[in-house]
Amino acid sequence: MLGAHCPGGTCARRSISNSDSHPGLGIPLRAMTAHSFALPVIIFTTFWGLIGIAGPWFVPKGPNRGVIITMLVATAVCCYLFWLIAILAQLNPLFGPQLKNETIWYVHFLWE
Amino acid sequence: MGSLFRSETMCLAQLFLQSGTAYECLSALGEKGLVQFRDLNQNVSSFQRKFVGEVKRCEELERILAYLVQEINRADIPLPEGETSPPAPPLKQVLEMQEQLQKLEAELREVTKNKEKLRRNLLELTEYTHMLRVTKTFVKRNLEFEPAYEEFPPLENESLLDYSCMQRLGAKLGFVSGLINQGKAEAFGKTLWRACRGHSIVTHAELEGPLEDPETGEVIKWYVFLISFWGEQIGHKVKKICDCYHCHIYPYPNTAEERREIQEGLNTRIQDLYTVLHKTEDYLRQVLCKAAESVYSRVIQVKKMKAIYHMLNMCSFDVTNKCLIAEVWCPEADLHELRLALEEGSRESGATIPSFMNTIPTKETPPTLIRTNKFTEGFQNIVDAYGVGSYREVNPALFTIITFPFLFAVMFGDLGHGFVMFLFALLLVLNEDHPRLSQSQEIMRMVFNGRYILLLMGLFSVYTGLVYNDCFSKSVSLFGSGWNVSAMYSSSHSPAEQRKMVLWNDSVIRHNRVLQLDPSVPGVFRGPYPLGIDPIWNLATNRLTFLNSFKMKMSVIFGIIHMTFGVILGIFNHLHFRKKFNIYLVSIPELLFMLCIFGYLIFMIVYKWLVYSAETSRVAPSILIEFINMFLFPASDTGGLYPGQEHVQRLLLVITALSVPVLFLGKPLFLLWLHHGRSCFGVSRSGYTLVRKDSEEEVSLLGSQDIEEGNNQMEDGCREVTCEEFNFGEILMTQVIHSIEYCLGCISNTASYLRLWALSLAHAQLSDVLWAMLMRVGLRVDTTYGVLLLLPVIALFAVLTIFILLIMEGLSAFLHAIRLHWVEFQNKFYVGAGTKFVPFSLRLLSSKFSDDMA
Repeated sequence: MLGAHCPGGTCARRSISNSDSHPGLGIPLRAMTAHSFALPVIIFTTFWGLIGIAGPWFVPKGPNRGVIITMLVATAVCCYLFWLIAILAQLNPLFGPQLKNETIWYVHFLWE
Repeated sequence: MGSLFRSETMCLAQLFLQSGTAYECLSALGEKGLVQFRDLNQNVSSFQRKFVGEVKRCEELERILAYLVQEINRADIPLPEGETSPPAPPLKQVLEMQEQLQKLEAELREVTKNKEKLRRNLLELTEYTHMLRVTKTFVKRNLEFEPAYEEFPPLENESLLDYSCMQRLGAKLGFVSGLINQGKAEAFGKTLWRACRGHSIVTHAELEGPLEDPETGEVIKWYVFLISFWGEQIGHKVKKICDCYHCHIYPYPNTAEERREIQEGLNTRIQDLYTVLHKTEDYLRQVLCKAAESVYSRVIQVKKMKAIYHMLNMCSFDVTNKCLIAEVWCPEADLHELRLALEEGSRESGATIPSFMNTIPTKETPPTLIRTNKFTEGFQNIVDAYGVGSYREVNPALFTIITFPFLFAVMFGDLGHGFVMFLFALLLVLNEDHPRLSQSQEIMRMVFNGRYILLLMGLFSVYTGLVYNDCFSKSVSLFGSGWNVSAMYSSSHSPAEQRKMVLWNDSVIRHNRVLQLDPSVPGVFRGPYPLGIDPIWNLATNRLTFLNSFKMKMSVIFGIIHMTFGVILGIFNHLHFRKKFNIYLVSIPELLFMLCIFGYLIFMIVYKWLVYSAETSRVAPSILIEFINMFLFPASDTGGLYPGQEHVQRLLLVITALSVPVLFLGKPLFLLWLHHGRSCFGVSRSGYTLVRKDSEEEVSLLGSQDIEEGNNQMEDGCREVTCEEFNFGEILMTQVIHSIEYCLGCISNTASYLRLWALSLAHAQLSDVLWAMLMRVGLRVDTTYGVLLLLPVIALFAVLTIFILLIMEGLSAFLHAIRLHWVEFQNKFYVGAGTKFVPFSLRLLSSKFSDDMA
């Protein structure tokens, strides 16, 4: 049974539905409810977008204006790209982690 | 953009300094630090220059001041260093300063000499006293002889000085007494015994307190000796041996009364000497104290004066010999201030005719000036260490401010280590005004100068550590892992699904040491971890398989983007130096080459990430094989990454193949065509600009002139074409070499960026090993001993973390990040053949005693 192995309410987020695929992303619906992909993308894009695109408008005029604007834009680009690569690499994993049996017991009982 | 993007425009100015005001004008200029002087007297040796006499005078003053400082330091008087540095002295004061200092020096030398003499005298007297006292005990031992000596009348001294003889039983009894160095006493005794063949008696005793030798200042132990001998010959021998051994000989008293008299006399003399010596030392100290107050400002003033005279030596005299002409490089932004400084100098010296300046045009390349503040200075130093930028070319330091710490952080990526580094740098930055820090020695000074770099490196390392999910080699699970182990159990699925997949139950787990999660099983993979790498990978045994693939692809992506950015910066350079043809004939083929091959690689990587998943994992092609096959055109069709792949790849290869000859030959042929006027070479790409250039060329007189469009005399940036002749062979060769370097470099430099992966792997593994070998051992021990054991374990862990992981790995990542910037990034656009603008600034003179008096 589906809910038998979940002590407490740890998997309350898992909805009981059939394994249809999401039309757009090709990921099973059931898996999507745990960690969504769209939400972090929106959050981080807005965050780094604010810093990299909106930030330069608020830099006060002075001799260092150009330097600060360049720093903001470069930081936003580098950090956003770094995070994006990390999440894209894990989006569709081709293989899973190989765990020792002790670790499996531990994770089974303590994390889930 | 701020002035950090490009170096400033410079102009060459000529200063006309009236000979009366030259010194003051230069002093005013030096205090402001505006301009760089050019040496107009290069073929004149330094001994024949005009102001050699003044320079010699300054050096003489420096010598006197150095002697003063040495004496002050020897007397342990504190030497106050002033806060502000005084300006160079006006010429009127120089003479009296020189007199003052010379007088002071003479006086000091005199007093010191006297003091030495007094002390030597004092030492002799003290030794004599000691000797008398000690030899009394010798004689006292043979008490029965004492009265016997008194019976005989003393004879007058024989020819030899320093010993007195007594007649006794027909033979002359002589005494020699004195002090000898402790080390030589034994040898002395032996020599005496052998030389005198038993005809002498030596008694010696050690002096309790060591005495100080006034010349060398050493404390040595002395032995008092008394030699009694018979006969004149032996007396000679003894005397000679004493001379050899550098003994201090003092006259030996015959009677006890004489001894007493001498002792009293000695005591009074010693007392007198002590008083005189004290007075002399007090006076000396007084003189030195008074001198110490002003010595610091004098030193600075003399240094500034000498610097001004050096600069004056670089100026040349004009025809009438009344006016000094100086040529200076001045930033255009500072021309107004230069005029003001000249006026100020003229006003101060009270001259009727003021000095003035005017700018002159020049074909030479000016030096490069980039104004930095304390934050950007460190990054500019990193770029300048490779090569100072050519005049008016794009300055990579502006972008290095962020990319350098970022690339460092990609190689260093650890939350805990990054945070420690950030705290250390924060400490340095907050205490940067602390005097001890700004005066520290070599290595600490370098670390201090790079404090802002360290700060940014630490900050970015915290971020990359967060994304790598690595904190002292442990992962942090902020959002819960995306991998669900329970879903692998057969009990989680309906029986219908169970038949399709390989699932687990308790016995499977008990009998297999390692098991792998399968993402194609529904519910196992619940979505990508929102911030960084999923924490479950830290527990997995095949962690490196996943991380290596991720990090390698990330390194390649960053490398290609960094290099493409470098090529784009080159376009800015071409635009600025008005060489548009370079954009079309060099930059665009370079970009096409890079993007068609490596940009396509990035596309393949991202496509595979988005499209292929666990269901299709069996047919997922390897990016590397696909990339290689792009060039090899294999016979077998392996399915490819996406439909239509061969056509796309063929198109890209065609574009690349077309851009290579343009890169090799486009520019030389174009320049050849321009030089020889219109001919049948029609490169369709640059058709419009060629026509425009041609008509302009025909308007201006043809010849072997500069062929750069809109050539401005001042902005002579490109050195390829000499003004006099057009050397096609050289241009062709340069361009071919550049193109080969670029094309081969694309591949090798992209692979070089893989060091981002390699170093971050090394760091992670080192961190892991340290944890496993130290902390885990400490944490596993039973609670009774565990607490005691844990303390030294944590201490050792901290020390090793700092030395190995922070310092060693930090230096390593720092070095590799520098290498990536200097070679892979900068060789796409940076020439770096300029000279740095070094203004004549009196503020740059070192104002610390330790620097030159050490």
